[in-house]
Amino acid sequence: MIFKTVRALLLAIFALLIIIPSLIVIFGSFKSDLEIYESPMSLPDAFKLDNYRTLFETSQVFTNFRNSVFVTSMSVFITLLLASMTAFALSRMVNLSAKVMFALFSLGLAIPAQVNMIPLFILFNDLKLTNSFFGLILVNIVTTLPISIFILTSFFRELPREMYEVSAIDGASIFRIYRSIALPLSKPAMGATAIFLFVINWNDLLYPLLLITQADKKTLPLAMLDFRGEYATSFSMIFTSVMIASVPMVIMYLTMQRSFVAGLTAGAVKG
Amino acid sequence: MSVPAFLLYAFLYLYPALNNLRFSTTRWDGIVEPEFVGLRNFSNLMTNDDLFFKVMGNNIRFTLLVVIFQTGFSLLFAILLLKNSRGNVFLRTLYFFPTILSSVSVAMIWLFLYDPNWGAINIFFNKIGLEAFALNWLGSETSALYAIVFSQVWFHTGQMMVIYIAGLQQIPAELYEAAEVDGANRWQQFRSVTWPMALPTTAVVIAYTTIQSFRAFDLIYTMTLGGPNNSTNIFSTLIYLTAFNEFRFGYAAAQTIFMVLMILFLTWLQRRILRTKY
Amino acid sequence: MKHMNARAFKALIAMSFAISATVVPISQSFAAGERLGARCTTEGVMTGTSSTSLACVKGANGKLTWQRVKLSSGNGRPVAALTPPKGSIEFWHWRNEDRATLERIIANYEARYPGTKITMNIMPSGDYTATGFAKIRANPKAAVFATFRGAQFNQFAKGDMMTDLSNERFTRQNVISGGMIPGQYEGKQLGIPYHYLFNNPVYNTEIFAKEKWSLPTNFTQLLAWCQAAKKAGYTPLAWSGGFRPNAGQMLNSMLMNSAPDYATLEARIVALDTGKAEITAPWFKEMANKYKRMADANCFPDNATGVTDAAAVALFATGKAAVIPTGTFTMGAVKAVNPAMTGKMNLFSLITTDEKPQYVGIHNNTFILSVNKNSTATDQKIARSFISYLLTGPVAQVFSVGTSQHTTVLDVDYSGNVDLLNTSSWQAKKTLLAPRFLWLNQGVRDLQEDALIAIVGGKPVDATLEDFAKQVKQKLAG
Repeated sequence: MIFKTVRALLLAIFALLIIIPSLIVIFGSFKSDLEIYESPMSLPDAFKLDNYRTLFETSQVFTNFRNSVFVTSMSVFITLLLASMTAFALSRMVNLSAKVMFALFSLGLAIPAQVNMIPLFILFNDLKLTNSFFGLILVNIVTTLPISIFILTSFFRELPREMYEVSAIDGASIFRIYRSIALPLSKPAMGATAIFLFVINWNDLLYPLLLITQADKKTLPLAMLDFRGEYATSFSMIFTSVMIASVPMVIMYLTMQRSFVAGLTAGAVKG
Repeated sequence: MSVPAFLLYAFLYLYPALNNLRFSTTRWDGIVEPEFVGLRNFSNLMTNDDLFFKVMGNNIRFTLLVVIFQTGFSLLFAILLLKNSRGNVFLRTLYFFPTILSSVSVAMIWLFLYDPNWGAINIFFNKIGLEAFALNWLGSETSALYAIVFSQVWFHTGQMMVIYIAGLQQIPAELYEAAEVDGANRWQQFRSVTWPMALPTTAVVIAYTTIQSFRAFDLIYTMTLGGPNNSTNIFSTLIYLTAFNEFRFGYAAAQTIFMVLMILFLTWLQRRILRTKY
Repeated sequence: MKHMNARAFKALIAMSFAISATVVPISQSFAAGERLGARCTTEGVMTGTSSTSLACVKGANGKLTWQRVKLSSGNGRPVAALTPPKGSIEFWHWRNEDRATLERIIANYEARYPGTKITMNIMPSGDYTATGFAKIRANPKAAVFATFRGAQFNQFAKGDMMTDLSNERFTRQNVISGGMIPGQYEGKQLGIPYHYLFNNPVYNTEIFAKEKWSLPTNFTQLLAWCQAAKKAGYTPLAWSGGFRPNAGQMLNSMLMNSAPDYATLEARIVALDTGKAEITAPWFKEMANKYKRMADANCFPDNATGVTDAAAVALFATGKAAVIPTGTFTMGAVKAVNPAMTGKMNLFSLITTDEKPQYVGIHNNTFILSVNKNSTATDQKIARSFISYLLTGPVAQVFSVGTSQHTTVLDVDYSGNVDLLNTSSWQAKKTLLAPRFLWLNQGVRDLQEDALIAIVGGKPVDATLEDFAKQVKQKLAG
């Protein structure tokens, strides 16, 4: 009995800790600043779309949104391509170079890519890759390659060897085996990894902060920082931008919940 | 087949990482030619930089607290929500929800909640008559780091909980049945079955949480910029501010090397501790 | 016909009076009769920002009278814009937020002078500071460019990139001479600072009227006022100790009357900035003690060190705080939170001495417009013409109202923005060029400002200054 009460209490507290802030943000995006300050937790007087209108009119939020979509999807796509090829090759090779390569990739797993912020910034400055989507995509790929290779390698290793051997006897090249056998089989793993990468890239702040200064090149999280600019600050606009940045994720989450959870835990379970 | 990825990785991860070593022996403002200073940056860091040690302390405290609380809460909620009942699945979905938000969004939300005058937290404590709990959350050196720890735990507990649930559901039911037959109570069942069986998952959760805590840059950068009085400054924010606010790139590279050493040490330590426990 | 005209004229006067009575509050609501030598009621009030204006000044006999002030450096009325030759140039700057207004101004300019084209090139401010010099030096087409006050202007001046504008008539007759200092280098006017903003506290005139408070004019009065305001339920100063960039704006006012003269102040700050002096110096300690005394007198919000920029604006905009110690640039944010604040703000002198203050406020002049010395003669002519165009009253008016900022230009009608109008008379007051920007080492200034924030937060003065002095020393050693 006591256990049940305590359990219910604990679960309710944590649930409220998530629900209440969410409601403050959702309601806040329909309120004026004055309403937010005077009654942060109440329902808005009316569901006015003024903040959204202002945000669309005065900021480049559409552009930022488009930038985020472009950078994120390109990064995810190329990372998956490279990582799956590498993982497939590494899972089939047993020689020394494969081992060294794998060890070096693991290093990138243990040491977060942010330790490279200074040399990368300098390198990209020299290569004129600042303020460029190409540069940002490259960074995203490199920072997420190790974890993706890790997840996918352990997946490929679990695939039964016989599958490959049959095709090898047929004389198929390693590329053919990769494309016609490994790839189709790895769909669920790739899907999970894709979501994992999507969330990381979509939400990343550090590298856009370092590499992007031009307003029309900014991604959403970076653009949101501008709302917390030096002189003009408005929580109604901040909440509205939080909504715009989060709603696509929430919709994806609710419709593809299973693969989402699989994806966002894959990195840890497999790693 | 693995060559393209490796070349890219070598050029944009390994090569810059090694460059840190080169930069760390210079004094450089990022504009004029770097000046070679040998090991002076390192000796300064070790002997003449109180801030660096403060930051190291902050980072250790931050990582430790996040690891303890995030692992503890995620295990607790995983146990409470282990059965696949409808209500449990709903709560899992809810708890997982913060994970999909961007860290800037999370930071903005908590920045508002923590506001001493306008924030929901202090309004709540004042309303229920617990004025003593209505603190100057992010504005006071004594509470700011803890406030950010709380936000970080809020952010990722759901994610770790799901990992735990996956792990705990692998534990054979017979083990619990046997324990029950032995007359073990809930706590004893936890001690004798759940905890030892979940150790591998715990290892994964702790390793992941540690790395995640080093990534708290976004939260801290958005919420406090390392303040007040550097009480929330951790390695990543310190390095960023040293390089891009003070234009001391060489010094920041030297700081980076210490950060790498510390991460390697922590990883080694964790492996050791968890290995002895298996 | 004549009769009709007179009538229409009278109606017009009545109408404009009615309009001005509703739009123009306090400082600009003159009774008729402001003429040289006549009595006036409010010190500092001015008849406008034209080259020959009248200001209400306290004379030696202690009486307030209208006296003539000359704001330009030369004699004669402002001149019209110079006619450019045909051709096209580029205008480089960093103010993306002013883009729309400047585009409108350029369109008007091009319509007026067909065959002359100006293309804007706007870079983000961080980039502009870092790479602006190199890029403009490599590009003679950038015939007009703007620089930041301080390090960047000096960089261009040292690089011999700017033509001397000292002898242009627009320099002597179109602008407020007090705002020209940041554009001078070795006795030459190498650029015309265009912005004229006040990094000065702003107060809620409605609250002051309602509570019948008079503005404090010395430090004792300030402390007493803080206590009274706190007792009446207000936050006296909505100071954002949780957000250093805005918290530091008040440092300007705290420094304002801390030295016997400007040269001393400048020397002291440069010494702090470069490590030749420490914040344990007696003058800094004295200033830190004033922060402490203000904190003890409840001048600051509760939990001041946790008040963010947004929270401070909210405190002021909702009428919970009487003063926000930032600057005129905050007025837009305040009005965004609460539009009803329009017309209810004016500048507040934060006087921290009990002696006669040297300065009553802080101003800053930046966005310094220069002509590129490497451009062709024709392009330089176009550049000078474009600058002269920007320096005419009607054009500066479009700029000011569009961007909510004062300019250094004379004869600007600010009535399109009531808050600019109310504060424009401050252009004739004795204000100090913002000293906070004399610090060039950001890391050092951050630490020294953090020390003051910690003191307001309740830390002991001496120990805190020593602790931070040590941190500064270590930072400069690294």
